[in-house]
Amino acid sequence: MDKKMCWILIFVTIAVNVVMVQWTVESYLGREFNQVVIYSGISVVSAFIAFFVFLNWRKLEYAEENQQ
Amino acid sequence: MTNECKKGRNLKNSKSDMVNLTKNVDQKDDLKYNRRSFLKTAAGASIALGLSTVPFSVRAMMGMAEEENERLEIGRLDQLGEGESMTFNYPTDNDPAILVHTVNGDLVAYNSACTHLMCPVFYKKEEDILLCPCHKGYFDVNNGQPVEGPPQRELPLIEIEVENGIVYATGRKYRHG
Repeated sequence: MDKKMCWILIFVTIAVNVVMVQWTVESYLGREFNQVVIYSGISVVSAFIAFFVFLNWRKLEYAEENQQ
Repeated sequence: MTNECKKGRNLKNSKSDMVNLTKNVDQKDDLKYNRRSFLKTAAGASIALGLSTVPFSVRAMMGMAEEENERLEIGRLDQLGEGESMTFNYPTDNDPAILVHTVNGDLVAYNSACTHLMCPVFYKKEEDILLCPCHKGYFDVNNGQPVEGPPQRELPLIEIEVENGIVYATGRKYRHG
């Protein structure tokens, strides 16, 4: 995975998380608890993806600096 | 560019060449607002957004364990003429509700806290509609859906049963119609 892909993935996770926060709150207010858990689960997975992609990007970014 | 002082590369006392550029009038901003910081903030925002949903799911799991299908007597049907309404509390004493005998002869019940800012809604017989007087929110009396004004969500529907002339509340639905 190159750095460009890391950027793309992080921004995709932001988009996913914004939508999931909105849907989670809507479902919570509508007492649709099963859906709350599903949307929240997707959101947490997306957050973990963002975290690991960020770690990968950091490795690539500063490895490049070391090579220079 | 040197590889020294990697950890403190974004600090003012760093030995990094980029940090120690001379004649850099915007040095502070260059250190604070740059491509790397931007991506770090973006990743942080994504993680924060993702984790912010966790309290909702914890509360939801607690809510799933609760049962709220208690059967409660509301009142006698013969005391509620067509075009009249009465208030009661369901499922707890902190949940005000309204039972409406519409001009068409239907019996409907909703929690009466407006879904905008929780003001109580009233039945307006002349227009056969539920009205929240605080901000002029209107709800369709037949299905509880908002038809005008600031409310965006429907009123929670209370399921009712009539048995031997007595009206009972038997359950509640938040999303309906």
